[in-house]
Amino acid sequence: MTKRLLLHVVLAVGAFVSLFPYLLVVLTAFKSQGQLNTTAPWVPGLPPTTANLTRFLSGDFPRYILNTLVMTAVLTAGQLVFTTFAAYAFARLRFRGREVLFWLYVATMMVPSAVTMIPLFLIMRELDLVNTWYGLLAPYVLGTPYGIFLMRQFLRTLPSGLEEAARIDGAGPLTILVRILLPLCRPALGTLAIITVISSWNSFLWPLIVTSGEGTRVITVAIATLKGGIGTDYNLMMAGGLIALLPMLVVFVFCQKYIVRSVALTGLK
Amino acid sequence: MTRPGANTRPTGPAGTPAPDDSGKPETPETPEATAQGTPVPGPAPAGPAGAVPPGTAPPAAGRTAGARARPGRKRGRGDWYAYLFVAPSLFGVLAFLLLPMVVVFVLSFFHWELLSEPTFAGVDNYRRLAGDAEAWRSVWVTVLYVLLCIPLQTVLALALALLLDRRVRGVRIYRALFVVPWMATPIVLGLVWTWIFDPRDGALNRALALVGVHGPEWLSDPSWALPAVALVSVWQNTGYNMLFFLAGLQGVPKELHDAAATDGATASQRFWRITLPLLNPTMFFVMVTNLIGAFQVFDTVFVMTEGGPSGSTAVINFTIFQTAFRAFDFGYASTLSMLLFALIFAVTLAQVRFFGKRTTYDLG
Repeated sequence: MTKRLLLHVVLAVGAFVSLFPYLLVVLTAFKSQGQLNTTAPWVPGLPPTTANLTRFLSGDFPRYILNTLVMTAVLTAGQLVFTTFAAYAFARLRFRGREVLFWLYVATMMVPSAVTMIPLFLIMRELDLVNTWYGLLAPYVLGTPYGIFLMRQFLRTLPSGLEEAARIDGAGPLTILVRILLPLCRPALGTLAIITVISSWNSFLWPLIVTSGEGTRVITVAIATLKGGIGTDYNLMMAGGLIALLPMLVVFVFCQKYIVRSVALTGLK
Repeated sequence: MTRPGANTRPTGPAGTPAPDDSGKPETPETPEATAQGTPVPGPAPAGPAGAVPPGTAPPAAGRTAGARARPGRKRGRGDWYAYLFVAPSLFGVLAFLLLPMVVVFVLSFFHWELLSEPTFAGVDNYRRLAGDAEAWRSVWVTVLYVLLCIPLQTVLALALALLLDRRVRGVRIYRALFVVPWMATPIVLGLVWTWIFDPRDGALNRALALVGVHGPEWLSDPSWALPAVALVSVWQNTGYNMLFFLAGLQGVPKELHDAAATDGATASQRFWRITLPLLNPTMFFVMVTNLIGAFQVFDTVFVMTEGGPSGSTAVINFTIFQTAFRAFDFGYASTLSMLLFALIFAVTLAQVRFFGKRTTYDLG
């Protein structure tokens, strides 16, 4: 009995530690400057104020949020479409060089993104795409090898009789993919979508490097500028943080099972 | 009871090699397997056939052998449209992954300050690198960072998974809560933890003061800044790693533990001799992905410390960024990138060797 209780205490402490920074963001975002100085960080400021949020949202930040939404939407759509096509070809179609190409993809999964940042920037600079939407989106919109790898693994688990029947009925490859395989892929697609949404929304280094103007600035880059300057305005920083974290929290609440499932998709059980 | 792997399992192992799928507690190999096993001719027992839905049994069983020869031949030229399907992503891989690798390699042999034309430098950059104390310090800082966060976020994740891998009330809620940190935006996280680590008003030092401890200056203290940044990584990644271990643990057959327990093995013996060896594939995956990530850490460093104080958190990726985008020395930054690549490559290779040597017990 005591053992059980101890277990729950340990787990509860873990859960508390996991949530504490989020709690702190919420509490600080709704405190006035005065309350920040007079209350402990974990005590809510009363009465709560929305002044920080309005201050944050009155600047250019709504625009950066919109930019981030556009980027996330485009990258996720691109990832889903192109990844599905490529994974379908690798998993279910036969063509010359399939194995070689697939191993090429797997090999590029090993290329660390940090290593390609500088050459990517220089390539975009040569093409005059620095500080444009094309430059921001191009490297990641065509589907990542990792995503293709996951989808291929999943597609291979579907019984092959599925397409044979449709093919005999005269269905083309596109019909087979869209009508027969895609509906069965919903769990894998969901997981892939969530992973892409999270990584796009959170991406920082590439947007930092390739964009400089307001037109393509995303929220992570904008928030990073909140630090620095004179003194640290924690109220404003946490208000911005709250707004940046909120969409991902909503995604999490509704799509938790897809995230848990991402583990199974890697093929490790 | 839902488990991480549960959703894919029913349609599961037909296509994947999945040797570790065999010992699953819920698929008793007796009734379905034998009922279905009779009509299947030759190599049936190779896979865990119990999981194949009865209706699709004949094509699925014959697939590996038959499919390759039969339908491909009929369609003559092969599936030409396959190239169309692969083309966009192939373009992406070539243009945005392979070409950059070539470019960074070539540029590492050039002087290029961006405004001038690039000039061939031979091995100048590499010679400079050999004597560059700052670069080697950033390698050391990176290694230190990796050593600070990886063991902790792996062991903690495994411990949490072991705690959750039993009939506890609210497993699913705990599991969900532990994963919440994983999706936090690293840049925002950096700011939040900067606030927590604030020496005067931050939550950490305030809490320490309550128990009479005078906390250090954290991010402005050269000896505490790096551990503080590493702690953020531990906070963010432990929960997600836990998911993998939890899934792995559920693949460890209970009968093995029962048998060992009957033979008088203690709980710790069972952990070291049964659980841990069987978790080998999971451990490999978690270690490889976490290490590759940790070697490239940037966001939290950028926003929390900017490499300071006095270079104590200047990890290599940050040094590369500064060399390129603050000093505009793209040639040398490319050389540093090659160093990072070599580092990651060597560490990954070492792990493949290490984990490859250890026996995975195939419980057929």
